[in-house]
Amino acid sequence: MNQFNNQEEIITALDRMQYVLDEEFATSIFLMLKLRKPLLLEGPPGVGKTEVALALSHLLDTKLIRLQCYEGLDINSAVYEWNYQKQLLGIKLQEESGLSVEQKEKHIFGSEYLLRRPLLESITQELGSPVLLIDELDRSDEEFEAFLLELLSAFQISIPEIGTIKAKHKPFVILTSNRTRELSDALKRRCLYHWIDYPDLEKEMQIVRKRLPGIENKLLEQVVRTVHQFRFRKLAKTPGVSETIDWAESLMALGYREINQAALEKTLGSILKTNEDITLIRAEGPDAFLA
Amino acid sequence: MKQQAFETTSITQGIVAFAQFARSHGLNIGLTETQEALLAADTGLLTERKQYKNALKTIWCKSPGERRLFEKIFLLYWDTNPIDLPSQKNKTTVQGTVEKKTNASLVMLGMGAAGETETDSPQVSGANENERLKKTDLSRIGGTDAEKLEELSKKLFREMAMRMRRRMMDSKQSDRINLRRTIRKSISCGGEPIELFRRSQKPKKQRLIVLLDVSGSMDKYSHFLLRFICALRQHFRQLEAFTFSTRLLRVTKALQLNRLDSVLATISEQADNWSGGTRIGECLENFREKYGKQLLNGSPTLIVLSDGLDTGDPEHLAKTLRTIQMRTKRIIWLNPLKGMKGYEPTARGMKAALPSIDTFRPAHNLESLLELENILQHA
Repeated sequence: MNQFNNQEEIITALDRMQYVLDEEFATSIFLMLKLRKPLLLEGPPGVGKTEVALALSHLLDTKLIRLQCYEGLDINSAVYEWNYQKQLLGIKLQEESGLSVEQKEKHIFGSEYLLRRPLLESITQELGSPVLLIDELDRSDEEFEAFLLELLSAFQISIPEIGTIKAKHKPFVILTSNRTRELSDALKRRCLYHWIDYPDLEKEMQIVRKRLPGIENKLLEQVVRTVHQFRFRKLAKTPGVSETIDWAESLMALGYREINQAALEKTLGSILKTNEDITLIRAEGPDAFLA
Repeated sequence: MKQQAFETTSITQGIVAFAQFARSHGLNIGLTETQEALLAADTGLLTERKQYKNALKTIWCKSPGERRLFEKIFLLYWDTNPIDLPSQKNKTTVQGTVEKKTNASLVMLGMGAAGETETDSPQVSGANENERLKKTDLSRIGGTDAEKLEELSKKLFREMAMRMRRRMMDSKQSDRINLRRTIRKSISCGGEPIELFRRSQKPKKQRLIVLLDVSGSMDKYSHFLLRFICALRQHFRQLEAFTFSTRLLRVTKALQLNRLDSVLATISEQADNWSGGTRIGECLENFREKYGKQLLNGSPTLIVLSDGLDTGDPEHLAKTLRTIQMRTKRIIWLNPLKGMKGYEPTARGMKAALPSIDTFRPAHNLESLLELENILQHA
């Protein structure tokens, strides 16, 4: 998997995957591939943290395995669980077979009764390293974070009934966090770290153009400029890059070639997601942003 | 230890010395990080300065703050002349500033340090004495009583935290069936699940945010209230604490050290506002803007400890609190003045805040503080 010799190659390759990134970020990814360490990405919502894992899996031509974290996520839904119903059936079927208890037990704790959840899945891949995306880790509990420590440093999982499963191909791990809480130092130390911020004007225009090749220059510049203005306002939910793309797309779909009063009125809902924000921006009117 | 790049003789030495240099400036760098820095150099990233800087940044820094610090350290190490280097600040600065504290915090510190001589006697004073102390208004306590109360509060707060933990553990009956365990145990009965095992309930974890008013009018209470917050932290691991008067100050990190005296010293050092006037509305808005997105997620419980004597705009306070309330599970407002007989929430600030408050309680003596335990429990 070491087809990349430096970060420029990564930039060009990801560019082909429609993902625009700067040199600093490319260095982080380069190191993640080289040093085989997990990469922790933090930043405001909607700046492409999740997207990069997708692009990367396309780039490396491997599977993307995704684990969405939430409060109360436990080992059973993250690592593995036994297929109890199937096990019960298995026991019933074996009743008349005359096998000893040990043999029966060995049978029903075989791998065909095991439900693989994302984490186990990621270390049991036969063909090459997958990309493992652990999304919004800050939402999970601390216990789960502690469990991850073991996985991320040794890439192995112990199942009492089977034994320890060690990764044949270490996955490339990308963790994302929105910083709703501080992650533990122990976890951070096992990861490389990169902070993704909102892109600057030029880069964001580049990104939108990548996604929407048909967009006209005037509209593109107006959209991105306006979104940048929005980010300076005190909004309840600051729009991310994905919202910019959505907005540009809706404007195009409605056939607008530039932003005017009517266009703003109709499409504000695709960039601002709370009523207060919409009222606030509406009160200011389009002239405040397009000047 | 080599302090500057020019003092080293090889690239390897230079990088290792840089790791040491960065460590001494507060970055959390262990041997692994140093090793990885060398590995990164080996992958060909060393050819260009900016590239290697980015590489080190991604290996060494673990938060936006550290990334900013790194930029400075990088310049300092590789670029500056040693003559320009200012003498290093050491950790005694916190103690150094203890001398120039305001009067108010000196009183606080005095209270915190006291109690050494009396430690052997809290039991002797007897139950009645303790009951009396529990009911005494915190602002009317002086001299020896203060020391005794200090001891008592320490003990009671500790017990409270313990009780809350224990109650969480007890309440775990009758939840979902633990199929995994049931089946495993049923094998010895030939696969018939005779005995049912249940999955124990996960202790509900409430996230708690505490805002403590440290303005002049709260002066007599804030010391105990801060101790109270410390006790709460024992139970709620995800506790965020702020103090406010004219400005908002995050004290979560300081509280984690769990040394109250040094917390007080640090707060009074950082906050020029300790015991000044109050602008609750502005501070709340500041809180919402700066920390709202980060902390007001998943509806936490918000506790405000304040007397509601506000010098700011009450309309502003009402509006801000309402928007905060929408994003919290509930707002508990503890007001020391409410303990006084015949108290009515007539202060402008308090009146404005009332509509958005879910629970409004007194906080004038130990007993009233301990009652919070029940309120939080029945969440």
